[in-house]
Amino acid sequence: MQKQITEANLRLLIDSLLLKGQRVVGPRQSGTMVLYEPLASASDLVTDELPRRSIKEAFFPVCEDLLEYRKEGQQIELKDIDPARFPETVLFGVRPCDAAAVPVLDAVFSWDYKDQFFLARRAKTTIIGLACTTADDACFCTAVGLSPNDPKGSDLLLTPMVGGGFLVESQSEKGEVFFSTWQDRFSEPDGTQTQALATPALQPLDLKKIKAWLDDHFEDRAWDSIAVRCVGCGACAFVCPACHCFDIVDEGSEKAGKRRKFWDACGFSKFTNHASGHNPRDLQPKRYRNRIMHKFKYYDDKFGQTLCTGCGRCIRVCPVGIDIAGVLEEIEKK
Amino acid sequence: MIQTIDISSYSAITDAIRSEARRILSDSTVSAVIGYTAGRRVGTTQPIVITTADEADKLLFSAGCLNDLVVYLTKAKKDVPKSGRIGIVVKGCDLKALVGLLGESQLKRENLYLIGIPCSGVLGSLLKPSAELTSETIASKCCECTDQLPLGCDFIPAVTPAPLPDLEKRYATEIARLEAMTPSERWEFWKEQFSKCIKCYACRQVCPFCFCEQCLCDRNRPQMVEQTPRPSGNTAWHLVRAMHLAGRCAGCGECERVCPMDIPLNLLNRKMAKELKELFNSEAGFEVRDTGPLTSYREDDDQSFIR
Repeated sequence: MQKQITEANLRLLIDSLLLKGQRVVGPRQSGTMVLYEPLASASDLVTDELPRRSIKEAFFPVCEDLLEYRKEGQQIELKDIDPARFPETVLFGVRPCDAAAVPVLDAVFSWDYKDQFFLARRAKTTIIGLACTTADDACFCTAVGLSPNDPKGSDLLLTPMVGGGFLVESQSEKGEVFFSTWQDRFSEPDGTQTQALATPALQPLDLKKIKAWLDDHFEDRAWDSIAVRCVGCGACAFVCPACHCFDIVDEGSEKAGKRRKFWDACGFSKFTNHASGHNPRDLQPKRYRNRIMHKFKYYDDKFGQTLCTGCGRCIRVCPVGIDIAGVLEEIEKK
Repeated sequence: MIQTIDISSYSAITDAIRSEARRILSDSTVSAVIGYTAGRRVGTTQPIVITTADEADKLLFSAGCLNDLVVYLTKAKKDVPKSGRIGIVVKGCDLKALVGLLGESQLKRENLYLIGIPCSGVLGSLLKPSAELTSETIASKCCECTDQLPLGCDFIPAVTPAPLPDLEKRYATEIARLEAMTPSERWEFWKEQFSKCIKCYACRQVCPFCFCEQCLCDRNRPQMVEQTPRPSGNTAWHLVRAMHLAGRCAGCGECERVCPMDIPLNLLNRKMAKELKELFNSEAGFEVRDTGPLTSYREDDDQSFIR
């Protein structure tokens, strides 16, 4: 279904949601950065900048408690965290490269083990995407088969129109429900053109060809030359909308504490370090290889999708200028 | 008023680095040269390790050469070939870190071939890599730089860097602002900054002085510091980092530059440096010292703090 909405009505809609006590999360200025954070009013919404971190934390936070424990003598008390406590949330102004990563995460978090924390938040969230009309030189969604107005992952997708306002398309049942709940704010499309979409500079990559090379080159000297500069931090994985590795740790004392789940990254030297002390990925090139293999081979083998949406965040933050799009171009030429 | 920084010398510096790298690789003075090469995006660079003279033309120097390459010489970077003598491109600030590592017996001078850069400044960040170098876009560390010309190198391009215009000393200004706060205001400031931390450890991984093979913060048998990115663990990590670097940090500012969450980490390091200057008249420089200000004891050390 297609509708349209004026800029003013969009802001009114956000404020109405907030008045109703609804949690609304969107890009907003947070100190020196733009981040996806709860909005206090519609005027907080920033629509011209890709947030520094991705939308994945709406479902998969940086750190969350899984359970509490308390021990007294021989008595151990365990307290579960009830996923039902997560609030209904509307995510506004989610970039297509972020929204597209959500179904990718769905696949892994509902595969053999159903992650109730991820899935409970997911079920209670409506995603309102916003098409991009500008791109910078790190953006490459079009190179990995997506587009600046890709509907993947969005329940509703907003596309800016010439002269202001947005064309709104529903992409799911949640989107239809949202339309009918807030029908007064929307109007029928009057044929106004949408604005020209962003045009990321990188040419489409041949992901099949890249995967074919990866299938055959687990051992290759190229990994050393690509990854020798990697210093082994987790910045790329942490800003990535699709990276989803995490660690679980018990923190507290012998008497009481919490079990926590928090982001992990394949760049870290302790990633996959065995209890024996053996680490199958003992050097940085092996860890960087895992990053590329996971995104463009393993995930594809398992779920038929690519674990990269071309948001370009890892390119922007890498301390040593590692450019995943450049690495893929290099592999494509082999 | 925004002033343009004169970096017209950088193309001559690039030519000189290339010919010197070609020479020392072809006559086997060194087995590898660590330098900068162009990235895919205009204005960006990335570190590169070259091992043949044919690759010398890949090297360059520009306002986008932000990295302190000295990190690649440390034992934390096991993957960089370190057999034989290694050539490395260093700016003045980078060289001070290298000198610190020589003092800590982490490196041997005879195993290094230092290519110094007569530096006119680099960008503060590569978020907008094609930006022109101006009084606004220049790195904060460059605004307070007194070491544009590194000393004690094996080769320095015969170029005199244009003197930097009078730039606002951003760290000095910010430290003065924080010093004027009450302790509780200052605590609030840092609590907010540390709350942004996501524990990606980019600050640790780029630091030439973070060469511990087993970082205290990675220990889990037993756990010494909360690993999770929460206020207590974040604060513990950043205080451990600051204290462990006190008297060692050379001021390359890489920790702050690479922080994806914009935490002004170098402020902690600069404040430590200021204290050490005031208390022990000690600061990072180009002269190798066997002991640092906090690793030596003298009878006449100020002990007034013991009460």
